Amino acid sequence: MRDCKILIVEDEALIRRELKTLLENAMYQVEAFTHFTDLPGRIAACRPDLVLLDVNLPEGNGFDVCLKLRQQSQVPVIFLTSRTDSMDELNGMLKGGDDYITKPYQAPILLARIAAVLKRTGDFREASVYEHKGVQLDISRCCILRQGKCQELTKNEMKLLHRLFKSPGEYVSRMELIEYLWENQIFIDDNTLSVHVARIREKLRALGVEEFVETKRGIGYRI
Amino acid sequence: MKLLPFLKDKCLLLFLQLVCMGILSLFLYLTGYGKTGISLILIFWLLILLAHFSITFIQRRRYFSEIQSLMEHLDQRYLLGELLPPSFRLEDHLYGEMIHASNKAVIERIRRLEREQKEYREYIESWIHEVKAPITGIALLAENGRKGQDSGKLRAAMGEICLENQRIENYVDMALYYARSEHVYKDFLIQETSLQEVGEEVLKKNRLLLIGNGVRAKVDCPDPVYTDRKWIVFILNQMVLNSVKYCGGQPLFSIYTQKKRDGVILVMEDNGSGIRPEELSRIFEKGFTGSNGRRQERSTGMGLYLCRRLCEKLGIGLRAESEAGKGTRMLLEFPISTYIARG
Repeated sequence: MRDCKILIVEDEALIRRELKTLLENAMYQVEAFTHFTDLPGRIAACRPDLVLLDVNLPEGNGFDVCLKLRQQSQVPVIFLTSRTDSMDELNGMLKGGDDYITKPYQAPILLARIAAVLKRTGDFREASVYEHKGVQLDISRCCILRQGKCQELTKNEMKLLHRLFKSPGEYVSRMELIEYLWENQIFIDDNTLSVHVARIREKLRALGVEEFVETKRGIGYRI
Repeated sequence: MKLLPFLKDKCLLLFLQLVCMGILSLFLYLTGYGKTGISLILIFWLLILLAHFSITFIQRRRYFSEIQSLMEHLDQRYLLGELLPPSFRLEDHLYGEMIHASNKAVIERIRRLEREQKEYREYIESWIHEVKAPITGIALLAENGRKGQDSGKLRAAMGEICLENQRIENYVDMALYYARSEHVYKDFLIQETSLQEVGEEVLKKNRLLLIGNGVRAKVDCPDPVYTDRKWIVFILNQMVLNSVKYCGGQPLFSIYTQKKRDGVILVMEDNGSGIRPEELSRIFEKGFTGSNGRRQERSTGMGLYLCRRLCEKLGIGLRAESEAGKGTRMLLEFPISTYIARG
């Protein structure tokens, strides 16, 4: 696994800046163009792992840029646009785009589609085993392990722990956890979250770990 | 054309003939003509008159019934002026010309209105695309702010901004789909669509609002359909927003499909306040807010109306079932097109 470089080609300064922040927070390496001449050549020279390409650019449109870019590079391209015509969508695919996202895009959806394209085109897989305080979380087998003993997890419990394992030592608020679960197709409410945490604690106890998941009232959980 | 009104129309002429007959009879009688001769003349006169009226009546009736049937078969009746049957009569000719001129004025006016409407629609569409750039900017700004390092109060405010911004986005989308619903064919991309993905996308998109309202949700849609994905996302989005508006304590949304012999039904079910039976048939009407909507003072009565319009264009059946106090089920019926099934 290596750091992924994403190139933003977007002429709206505010969107460009915030997109950069968003992607940097998501641990990507980001570069953004601020002027838009000779795009195909410069994109290829920049050697990114993925290009976010706005369709409406001051000098010509993104589809043509992509078409020219394809002559020299196979870098994955995701089109960003505020137009929602079906013809545009079709155009995007025909001109060699890998995905097509319409504004206003939702941050988690954008990140998920970026991750999906990267997964399809490169070798950027997320870690599949996490470890903290001697407890291992195995994503691919969907279980927790400690000293050779194993406890199977449900999908919901696994996702919940996954979030906690991603930032060990930090409190994750209940709202943040629920939101993370919603982003991962688990649509639960506050009470159900408590139920899941209780079940996880039970499974941890079966492995002989107490107080692994800490609760702080009014703040959230941490491991 | 009926006989009696026809005769009524001709009554002046008839009266004139009768008067003439009377005067002639008197004149002949005074000049010493025989009664039989006078009767014979009058009988002949009457026969000729009868023949004249009969022929005129039949001719006129044929002429007007031809126009009548033209009217019935024309889908744009204002084009009648172009198609009037030929007639040697002066009056027909004059009326024909007037109808023609009047129709032409109507057609010109319609063309002008159509052009204005088209320009307006195009402007609305381009405006919507422009306004989406700042909406995106605000969305990203608020999203980054919400996840950022600032104080809790500021983060909460950013969350609120996110929510309000999403409301703006939805209103803008409604305007876009309203402007487009008239000319669907320009904006169709029918493809195999996973309703599971659509359902999840809609829930994820509204996660802040839904989590804030304590909603739990399930999506179970294994059956794919052939349709235009973004239109279905829009329709389902309206339904979800509607359900949030009228949800009670412990709201639970289920989005699932049922496979039927002649199609797939997508169901969006909630356990909210429901719709009264007397209002159920009217919820898809434009501007209808119902007793629920008025209580909340937030309804515009446009969301479901747009859903119905879009469903009509997409060939999807749209129904609602509800029990007041227990919940509502919105059903989208996707017919299996024989055309696609064969291919």
